[in-house]
Amino acid sequence: MRLWIHFVKDAPVRFLSHLDLMRAWQRAIRRARLPVLYSAGFNPHPKMSFASALPVGVISDAEYLDIQFERTLSDIELECLAATVPQGMTIVSQRTVPPETPALMSLVFASEWRVPLSQSEQLAAAEHISLLLASESVPVLRRGKKGDKTVDIRPLVLRLEITDSNELFMLLCSGGDGGVKPREILNLLRLEHKEFCLCKTGAYLKAGDFLQSPDNVVLKGKEVMFNAEKDCYKL
Amino acid sequence: MKNYRSIFWDKILPRVQKPTRYLGNEINSANKDHQSASVKIALAFPDLYEIGMSHLGLKILYHIVNRRREWVAERVFMPDADLEKIMRDESFPLCSLETVTPLGSFDLVGFTLQYELSYATIIQMLDLSGIPLYSAERGENDPLIVGGGPGAYNPEPIADFFDFFIIGDAEEALPRVLEIFEGAESASRKEKLILLAEVDGVYVPAFYREKYDKGRYLGTHPISEDSPAKVSRAVVADLEAADYPTDFIVPYGGIVHDRLVLELFRGCTRGCRFCQAGIIYRPVRERSPESLLELAKRMVSSTGYEEIALSSLSSGDYGSIEQLVEELGREMASLGVSLSLPSLRLDSFSSELAQQVQRVRKSGLTFAPEAGTQRLRDVINKNITEEDLLKAAADAFSAGWTSVKLYFMVGLPTETDEDLRGIADLARKVVRVYRQAGGKGRPRITVSTSVFVPKAHTPFQWVGQIPQDEIVRRLELLRNEIRGSGLQFQWPDAETSMLESALARGGRRLAPVIATATALGAKLDGWGEHFSFERWRQAFADHDLDIFQCAGLSFEEDEALPWDHLDSGVTKRFLLREFKRGLAGKVTEDCRHNCLGCGMAVLLEQEEKKGDCRHATMDSLR
Repeated sequence: MRLWIHFVKDAPVRFLSHLDLMRAWQRAIRRARLPVLYSAGFNPHPKMSFASALPVGVISDAEYLDIQFERTLSDIELECLAATVPQGMTIVSQRTVPPETPALMSLVFASEWRVPLSQSEQLAAAEHISLLLASESVPVLRRGKKGDKTVDIRPLVLRLEITDSNELFMLLCSGGDGGVKPREILNLLRLEHKEFCLCKTGAYLKAGDFLQSPDNVVLKGKEVMFNAEKDCYKL
Repeated sequence: MKNYRSIFWDKILPRVQKPTRYLGNEINSANKDHQSASVKIALAFPDLYEIGMSHLGLKILYHIVNRRREWVAERVFMPDADLEKIMRDESFPLCSLETVTPLGSFDLVGFTLQYELSYATIIQMLDLSGIPLYSAERGENDPLIVGGGPGAYNPEPIADFFDFFIIGDAEEALPRVLEIFEGAESASRKEKLILLAEVDGVYVPAFYREKYDKGRYLGTHPISEDSPAKVSRAVVADLEAADYPTDFIVPYGGIVHDRLVLELFRGCTRGCRFCQAGIIYRPVRERSPESLLELAKRMVSSTGYEEIALSSLSSGDYGSIEQLVEELGREMASLGVSLSLPSLRLDSFSSELAQQVQRVRKSGLTFAPEAGTQRLRDVINKNITEEDLLKAAADAFSAGWTSVKLYFMVGLPTETDEDLRGIADLARKVVRVYRQAGGKGRPRITVSTSVFVPKAHTPFQWVGQIPQDEIVRRLELLRNEIRGSGLQFQWPDAETSMLESALARGGRRLAPVIATATALGAKLDGWGEHFSFERWRQAFADHDLDIFQCAGLSFEEDEALPWDHLDSGVTKRFLLREFKRGLAGKVTEDCRHNCLGCGMAVLLEQEEKKGDCRHATMDSLR
């Protein structure tokens, strides 16, 4: 049985690294005595991965665990798992996924972020936002182990605005080199000090011309399809 | 009241490295309401989280306090340098992990005394808490500071900083201490201490005074007739009936020993003459295989850990070790949990045992002959032969190990250059065994050494550490001898051993030295990046003491020792007999076969404990 588990990473566990979070899940699964599937080979490891890596210290409403079990789990078993995860790692929902679906990590296309802003921060940021959106290209220097390189992040910013509820709203292409980090946008908006106020509020897969959450897309075989009855963004 | 929690979480944690050390909300941590608590204790481990969380004693005490609904135990560790700097710069006090409560708000702060190198860290933690460093300076609103663990068997160098100590098994004494606190809420500090002194194992240093005659130390004696001349240790007579934690806290980040620990038994009957643990944890007390199996299963299900270590001073001495490892191994393997057996004497290492414990994962292997020749091994009563070592090594190699660590001490009493060459000889023979066992390529035989530190309450308590230049000469000799294919030599940290020696057998005159070293910045001395020998040498010198002399201090047989008023249950007469036999190269047999009259049986009888020492060991023979 393969599951996508949607969970929250809230304040009590916000400082857990990717590795810490993985270890916390493995131990929770063991406490709940669930038969997770192990990879074959010399050094077997449980078949589980996250949709994306979240910066340490950031809170998220939209974390996903892609995990395989030896057999179908009962509802009670899933409730036991929900009861034994550390405080702050609340399970929101889970869905069964066809075994041949590509890894969730490879499917996530964009992430949604929000940062509450004061009136004065909004005023100052608004100017930078218009400037950024009006530019055709926005080169950003990234320092790496193999040397520095410049990336144009403008096409990776899908939406950027200040909402009626006094938040900075960002919809950003995600995932390694093909994405832009929320911190990079905060730097461009002179809001670097707000990094620990960030909240990830959505993760989206690409289904045709639409972006839709892993909870809502239709999965058939290897295909990811748009579900017209659920919320989505048009690209 | 300031909300320490929100300040710490919102304003401080985002700025520190490895914040998961300081969260305090790990699985199985106890987050209790302080309002309805009758007594609150902060359990302090004077080192970083990664070290302190690996310690079994802390887990046991945390469990036995928190299982009582109205009692609160919370953890506190030394913050790493980055957090410490923030706390000092911004005047944020040291707080417990669970509820972010300043240590000053607890009724008691308990420090575990595991090694001398943590003493400066204790002072730093008191300082960070804003609690007066010296017991005599504390007021009615300050917590009582209590120490326990092996260091409490000679706590004199830090006695002035503590209100009382618990000597012996704290799982026996601590609940009685907390009951006294519950019943004496309105009592003054002094009144509480008087009540506490009644408890077996409780030592109140303020009730005792060092006596000198023209500079000559004449022992530490009670000030009033109400205090006993000797304080005897607390003993858990029946380990099987003692509560053992199965709900280990599950850390988020990796810690040093990130696994479950199952204590097979306490105590050791082997009688190695350098070993303090072998004296102060007497008598041998075992848990039955049935309850160990049951405990192991409960531990795995309450924590989700993937590894369990069997712990004791010498696990091969467990009554039915093969059977236990076989059964436990099978049970754990079915749960996907691996087993490790870290404390095997090399004469109880067998290929069967080795295969059992490495069923899931192969870990490093260390054998400890301790000394290089049979003569010196007889002096220290290690009772292991060269044959034992070579057989164990052959078994390990045929079971597939290619790297083995050999552990030795340098500077043992009566050691000669011949003994040092013997170490190199043994190591070369182990390499030869590898070839004979058909091992491919080159083995990795590491000779790991440490400099001998004489400890209180051992047969070698009368001797001083050898001088520094002699240590260096012997280590260089050893390094030159250990050369060749497959051999590696690990140079020990001789300076920290020197400091340990200077502190381990000292008296109360060392308290100002420790305070000065701390003021000069000493902390976390077990960590190379923090330790400075020069700082300590300076601190000793500031009080007209020489650190080398303190480390090398030898006592006469009839001289008063600074820990004579603290009774481990083993008599000074027995230790002296063992010391003399050691110097004469005479071995003493394992006492589980024949009682040697060390005194432990008498202590058990006096305390009217169920069963006596001999029964405890006979039981374990089964």
